[in-house]
Amino acid sequence: MSAPRPAAGILPAAIAVFRRELLAEWRTRVAVNSLFLFAFAVLVLVAYVVGPTRLSPEDRPTVNAVLLWIVLFFSAMTGLSRTFVHEEDAGTAAALRLSAPPPGVLLGKLFANVVLLGAVTAFIVPLFVVFMGFEIKEPLLFVLLLLLGISGLASASTFTAALVSKASAKGALFAVLAIPLLLPPLVGCVLATRVAATQADFSAGVDFLRLLVAYDGVVTTAAFLLFDAVWRE
Amino acid sequence: MRLVAENLSRSFGRRAFGPVSFRIETGRVLGVAGENGSGKTTLLKTLAGLIRPSGGYAKIFFDGEEAGDGHEPRDIPWSIGWCAPDLSLYGELTAEENLIFFERVRGRAAQLSGVKALLAEVGLPESSYSKKALGALSTGQRQRVKLAFATLHEPDLLLLDEPGANLDEAGRSIVQKVVSEQRFRGITVIASNDPRDLALTDERVTLS
Repeated sequence: MSAPRPAAGILPAAIAVFRRELLAEWRTRVAVNSLFLFAFAVLVLVAYVVGPTRLSPEDRPTVNAVLLWIVLFFSAMTGLSRTFVHEEDAGTAAALRLSAPPPGVLLGKLFANVVLLGAVTAFIVPLFVVFMGFEIKEPLLFVLLLLLGISGLASASTFTAALVSKASAKGALFAVLAIPLLLPPLVGCVLATRVAATQADFSAGVDFLRLLVAYDGVVTTAAFLLFDAVWRE
Repeated sequence: MRLVAENLSRSFGRRAFGPVSFRIETGRVLGVAGENGSGKTTLLKTLAGLIRPSGGYAKIFFDGEEAGDGHEPRDIPWSIGWCAPDLSLYGELTAEENLIFFERVRGRAAQLSGVKALLAEVGLPESSYSKKALGALSTGQRQRVKLAFATLHEPDLLLLDEPGANLDEAGRSIVQKVVSEQRFRGITVIASNDPRDLALTDERVTLS
C-alpha cells in the first residue's frame, strides 16, 4: 500500500467551497432573502419615520452614519451565521471535514459571505443615499471604508458562526459572541462615515482606514489560527 | 497497510464503546457487531477521525512503516472513505455536482466522465444523478450516492456503517461489489447488525 498522499491545497478547496456556497444560495436563496428583506425593510422604515427632512443639517451626518451601519450590521447578523450552522444542521459538515482542508473551508465561506454582504451593501447604500438625502463629500473614503467594514463584518461573523455551529442555542450565542467582537470596528465605521459626509478631505479619514485594516487583519488571522481546532473538535 | 486499534475507547460522560483492540491488514474486511447503542457508529466515527478517542489509539500504518510510525486517522482524511446513515451530502445539488464538489475540495481534478461512471456503477440512472437535486431522490438512491461518495477518491480505509440500510437486493449487490473492490485497495470496516452485511466480513469485533 502506498504512502499517504499529500493534503489537498487550500486555494482549490476554497474556490470549490466558494462556488458551492454561491450555487446553493442561488438555488435556495435563503440567506439572500433574509439579508435583502431585512435590509430593505429597515431602510424603508427609517426613510419613512426619520426621512431626509426631519433631521437638522448638523445632526444629519451622524444620524445617517449610525443608521446606515445599523442596517448593514443587523443584515450581517441575520444572514451570515447560516454558513456553518446549516452545515451542522443538515449533517453535511462531516463529509466536508473528511474531504477539505480546514483553512480552505474557512476561506471559501468567508469569500462567499463577503460577496453576499457586498451585494446587500451595493443594493442598500445607493437607496439609503437617495431616501435619506445622505450627502457624501469624500466618496473614495466612503467606498474604502465600506469595503473594509463589510470585510470585517463578514470575517468576524463567519468565524463566530463556526464557533456556535455545534451549540444548542446557536442564535443567542451568535449574538452574544459577535456583538462585542463587532462593536469596535462598527464605531470606527460610523465615525469614518461621518467624516466622509462632512469633510472633502481624504486624509481626515485615513486613521479610521488604518484602524479597520488592522482590525480586519487581526480578526482574519485569528480566525485562521483558531479555525482548525474549532472545526475539527 | 494495516489498521491497529489498541484499547480504543470513547466516553461522552458515560462509556460509548470500548476499550477495544484489533489489528487488520490490507485486503481484509472487519465486521463490527453489537446491539443498538453499543457504540458501533461512534467507533466508526473515531476510526474516521471525526471523534477523538477518550482512551487508547487507532493508527494506520502504510507499507514500510514501523511500530513507532503510523498515522492517526484525523491526520490523513484523504485516505478514508466513510458511508453512514448520519452522513449527508448537499441536498440542493445534484448527485453529480456533489461528487464533483468533493473531488475539487480534495484538490483532485474532477473528471465528469469518471463521476458519471461511478454513479452509473452504483445503479443510478443519469436522469437521477444529473438532473434531480439530491434532496429529491429516494432514501435508497441517496444511500447509493453515499456509497459513491465513500469510494470516489479510492480510499485506503473504507468505513461502512449499516451499508445495506434502505437498499433493495440490487443495491445490496452493489455493496458486495464495493467491498470486493476495496479488498484490492485496502481495508474495509463494516458496522452492522444485519447478517447479510456481516457475511461480507472476514473478522469480527463485537461491542457490548
